[in-house]
Amino acid sequence: MKVITGVVGNDIHVVANRLIELSLDARGFEVFNLGVNTYLEEFFDAAVETQADILLISSLNGEAEGWAREVKFLKSKYKTLDNLVMMIGGNLVVGTAAAKDIVPRYRNYGFDLVFHQVDLNTGLDTLEEYLKTRNI
Amino acid sequence: MSLLQEEREIILNNEFVDNFDFAEVEEFVRNADKELFISHHFAQKKKMLVQPRGGFPTYEKQFALNEFFVKANVDVLPLTIDSNTRLNDYATAKKMLRLSEETEKDMLNGYPLVNHGYRTTRKMITHFNKPVSLRHGTPDARLLIETAIASGIFEIEGGPITYLLPYSKNFPLDKAFLYWKYVEKVCANYSKLNLPINRESFGPLTATLVPPSITIVIQLLEMLLSLEEGVKSFSVSFSQTGSMNQDIVMGAVLRKMAKYYADEINCSDAAINLVYHQWMGAFPTNKDYAEQLINMSTVIASMVGADKIITKTREEASGIPTKEANAKTVANTQYTLGILNGLPKIVDQEEEEILSLEVKAIMEAVFNDPADTLWRKVFNSIKNGTIDVPFSPHIINHNEMITVRDANKNIRIIKRGNVPIPDKCFLYEKSKCDLSKDTTSIVNDIIHDIGIMQ
Repeated sequence: MKVITGVVGNDIHVVANRLIELSLDARGFEVFNLGVNTYLEEFFDAAVETQADILLISSLNGEAEGWAREVKFLKSKYKTLDNLVMMIGGNLVVGTAAAKDIVPRYRNYGFDLVFHQVDLNTGLDTLEEYLKTRNI
Repeated sequence: MSLLQEEREIILNNEFVDNFDFAEVEEFVRNADKELFISHHFAQKKKMLVQPRGGFPTYEKQFALNEFFVKANVDVLPLTIDSNTRLNDYATAKKMLRLSEETEKDMLNGYPLVNHGYRTTRKMITHFNKPVSLRHGTPDARLLIETAIASGIFEIEGGPITYLLPYSKNFPLDKAFLYWKYVEKVCANYSKLNLPINRESFGPLTATLVPPSITIVIQLLEMLLSLEEGVKSFSVSFSQTGSMNQDIVMGAVLRKMAKYYADEINCSDAAINLVYHQWMGAFPTNKDYAEQLINMSTVIASMVGADKIITKTREEASGIPTKEANAKTVANTQYTLGILNGLPKIVDQEEEEILSLEVKAIMEAVFNDPADTLWRKVFNSIKNGTIDVPFSPHIINHNEMITVRDANKNIRIIKRGNVPIPDKCFLYEKSKCDLSKDTTSIVNDIIHDIGIMQ
């Protein structure tokens, strides 16, 4: 199964990004890591190019929210991405906010799975469960 | 007119530079007080020099910070440059400087040196009459260092590798090499007029589980690139690893190797200094613990025998430190250095031998690259993964090497990627670690290993 991952926007925090790649790899995914400082168009272009099943966006400085608002609009311009599993995780707001407020907001932005300050392995376990339910 | 001088005139003929007077600047450097040259203080070898970090947007605040540092008995003043200037965005820096001046709220994370200009900044530098170190993170620092030297700043930190691989995703590495070649040449030329301008490499790199062999190789290569352009005073550096023994071994090997490779290119007349950075990784949020960590770093720097120590503050975990906190670290560090007497001499021959073999093997692989010049050999070696920096965000970096901490918190290589770590050394490194774990638990270990000081 193919996963595109990377850190969205002008965020240069690279440590978790490398660990996500290692963990996905260990779980048997085929990983395309776009690294830090990646724009939404680059994520979607890569998803088309690789025919990826999953897009896993991460954020540390919280600027994800600014970008996430454009996800639905941008994704609708691509014809082949309807079945792409959309996942986002990390620190999803600038400042502080509770996960119960953040998760519904990000669902509205077009994400299937939302993890705000959740441990990496818990997030990836949840992803694997989710893939089973969708029979992917 | 030489090609270099033509390039200098283009660089300095810039809307943000107010009429750069080459002849006047040369006269200034020629007659500058020796106290301003850190190379002079290194040569005296009186004590380990203490240098904090710090930069504020306005002249007044920078001046006030320096006053605090001087009261705390600082040896070397820092001048940390804001992030817009680092990316050559002088227009934004100018706007933010004006906002900072008008609102008294800091809108920049450092001192916008180019916008202040050398005539203004020189007044501050000569007023305090202490050596100043330029701290930045700029891939294209040509205009910045011209302004710095004209201001009386005679130590320039950075280098094409150490200021690029930890800080940038896609600034072209080959361009960085050429821009830094200019920096070296300008430093070398000014060094002929008075005491040498000191160049310093930034050894901490990503400060995240970088193994000693990679740090040392990059220090040596930036040193060679600098010396071959005629620089006569150079500082190699590294930051606290998390294991006292590994720090001591690393310091010893780095010093020996620096001398060895400088001799190899007939530059034994150049002074090579060793700089130690207090812990550069994630800091504890508890400020009292942060002070304990800083104190321990100072002890280790003494064990390493560093010529200069660069300090952190108790406020590291919470953002840009206040001038009070910053000066407090300087005073504390000076106190600790003053009472540290009768240090034992520790030599770990086995570790030194393993590390030396690793460094030599990587250096040999770099030199064996078929390219015609050293910078191209180094460029190719980074591109093909002979040199691989853990946790670099740059697209050219291979990211194939994996490191973890062993039981004594030494950083060990458990996957070498394309880095030519000799088999004997690789087996030794792995023998220190528990390799029976699955990747998920190794990832958890790595997360823990990164945050050991928190």
